Amino acid sequence: MTEMLKVNVDRRGGLAVIYTEGYINNQGGEEIARAAYDLISDDEKNLLLNLKGTKIVNSIGISILIEIIEKMLEIDGRLSFCSLTPTIEKTFHIMGLAQYAQIFPDEESAVAGLSE
Amino acid sequence: MAQSTASVDNQDIWADLLGLADRQAGEQALLRGLLGVLCKSADLKGAAIYAESGEKFRQELAVGAGEFPAEVRGFRDLGLEHREIPGGLLLLNPSGSETSFPEALPLVALAAALQTAKLSKRLKQQKFEVNYRGVELEALYDVGLAVASTLNLEELVEEILLRAVSLLDARRGALYLTKGSSFVLERTFGGDACTEIALEDPLVAALLEAEPPDDQDLLPGAAHLLAVPIETDSERRGLLVVADKESRHGVGPFAATDRRTLAMFANQAAIALENAYLHRQALEKERLEREVELAAEIQRRLLPTDFPRLEGFELVGWSRPARHVGGDYYDFLSLAEDRVTAVLADVSGKGLPAALMVSTIHSALRLLLDHFRVGPELIARLNHHITDSSAPNKFITLLAAEIDPRRGEVSYVNAGHNPALLLRAGGEVEELEAGGFPLGLFAESSYTGGSLTMAPGDLLCIYSDGITECEAPDESEFGAERLVDLLESVGNRPLPEVVQAVDDAVTTFAAGQSQGDDQTLVLLRRTKEGVGA
Repeated sequence: MTEMLKVNVDRRGGLAVIYTEGYINNQGGEEIARAAYDLISDDEKNLLLNLKGTKIVNSIGISILIEIIEKMLEIDGRLSFCSLTPTIEKTFHIMGLAQYAQIFPDEESAVAGLSE
Repeated sequence: MAQSTASVDNQDIWADLLGLADRQAGEQALLRGLLGVLCKSADLKGAAIYAESGEKFRQELAVGAGEFPAEVRGFRDLGLEHREIPGGLLLLNPSGSETSFPEALPLVALAAALQTAKLSKRLKQQKFEVNYRGVELEALYDVGLAVASTLNLEELVEEILLRAVSLLDARRGALYLTKGSSFVLERTFGGDACTEIALEDPLVAALLEAEPPDDQDLLPGAAHLLAVPIETDSERRGLLVVADKESRHGVGPFAATDRRTLAMFANQAAIALENAYLHRQALEKERLEREVELAAEIQRRLLPTDFPRLEGFELVGWSRPARHVGGDYYDFLSLAEDRVTAVLADVSGKGLPAALMVSTIHSALRLLLDHFRVGPELIARLNHHITDSSAPNKFITLLAAEIDPRRGEVSYVNAGHNPALLLRAGGEVEELEAGGFPLGLFAESSYTGGSLTMAPGDLLCIYSDGITECEAPDESEFGAERLVDLLESVGNRPLPEVVQAVDDAVTTFAAGQSQGDDQTLVLLRRTKEGVGA
């Protein structure tokens, strides 16, 4: 498993998908935030975070994700998640992220749901 | 700084402020809007608002142009235009050389919004912490659940380590399991770790006493370690180590509450690991039993289920393995010209390796008998093959006897086996000794062969040492002499009855002692009605 987070971005007309691989901690969260804020400054308002390559997230990483969600709400955009492990999905529900961000089981259903 | 007239009149400012209030935006959006109103009313290129935090001010938000630092300590020396507001500070970047003095209205609104933002942030932080306690409890509960669901040891180890690292906001971690007198690294996360450490190593004691030395080499490069034992019923199953607690500003040491959290987590993990261990052991036992059962089945199939008819002769074989899979083997192989070869072999050792050797000798003998008759050359070739294909410490004793029913002749080779007994009808007993070393010891061994002629009523008994070395409770052995006496007393009965008599005698002699070795018997008797005498 890669433990330092790697981020890749794929823009596909109205939706930008951020793929992560590794630990979403302080450093990992900052990497995601950097990618998200770059997309926001390019006027992307519909972001999908695909966590297929992530098995672990800590509280610092979660707080950074919450900041990104707040930022998206501020600009009338939205951040959604897909491909979460059961542990991470449960954590997101407990931490309240699921109230402000949609969670999809996989990228296919996310793309279908977000383009409706 | 000179007092100047506002560039925007109060009416416009009121309108802007009311517009912001109508939008019902979040705290950050409100601050951003208010800074915008401030810039407009005071003709600024940009502005930043800072919240008081101890002895310094932390930037909450900046708008427009300007180099505004993230933190400010001695703002009076900054050389930037500033305004103090209750609970905070504003840094301003004026448009021209003449700084407009901001109207009081947006300043008051900004101070109020800043307080709201600070309160809101504190509430959010508290809510976050409460929620995260929920995540911790859930993790403890989940690991407890894993007792019932995750029985795969590798998956469980990974699950435990990742959850521990995540829960403690650690940057790194390692999980060790006890093997013998050491903790052996099972899984690491976030960096290298020492692969093995003795249970009694002073570093382990120091870690568990919360006094790890600065130059520890358990997790090289880690600055702050926290370790707890994984224990069940005071048996130390392993060691759970996390390192370098993260915050938004870097890494630092763990708090005392973190040790308690990790210890609780390790307690749950210990039960789950114990369960997985037991499950693995049960699976291993089951797998071994299946293998042994399979090998026993293969070996049973190697033994003859019926015996060839040989004009003028009776023959029978019998074998009782000491375990599921034994090292004894016997066979009757029909050859050309109505001849039959009887063979009895005893492989050193028991269990699966012995069974594999039995299988080897079974195949090799059948192939060789297509080309050679029983004699020194056949046994030398068989020995060569067995030496090549067996472990150095394995050997086989074997006695092969080829019977020509027309003449009553028996040609044999005894490769290190206990001598077969020929009980003549007249009462004499002869031993079949001609041969050489057991098979598999020396590749170049040579052999001699023996031959004899059986008369009607003669009985040939080939047996394994499991019969003669069968022990009584007083550790005395059954012995060849007792076997001869028995055969002499029952030798005239049908051969199945003779076998039964030997079985009964050996069982009675052992008097309930467990059978130490395989017991095998091959009997041939020339009948009076035989041909070719």
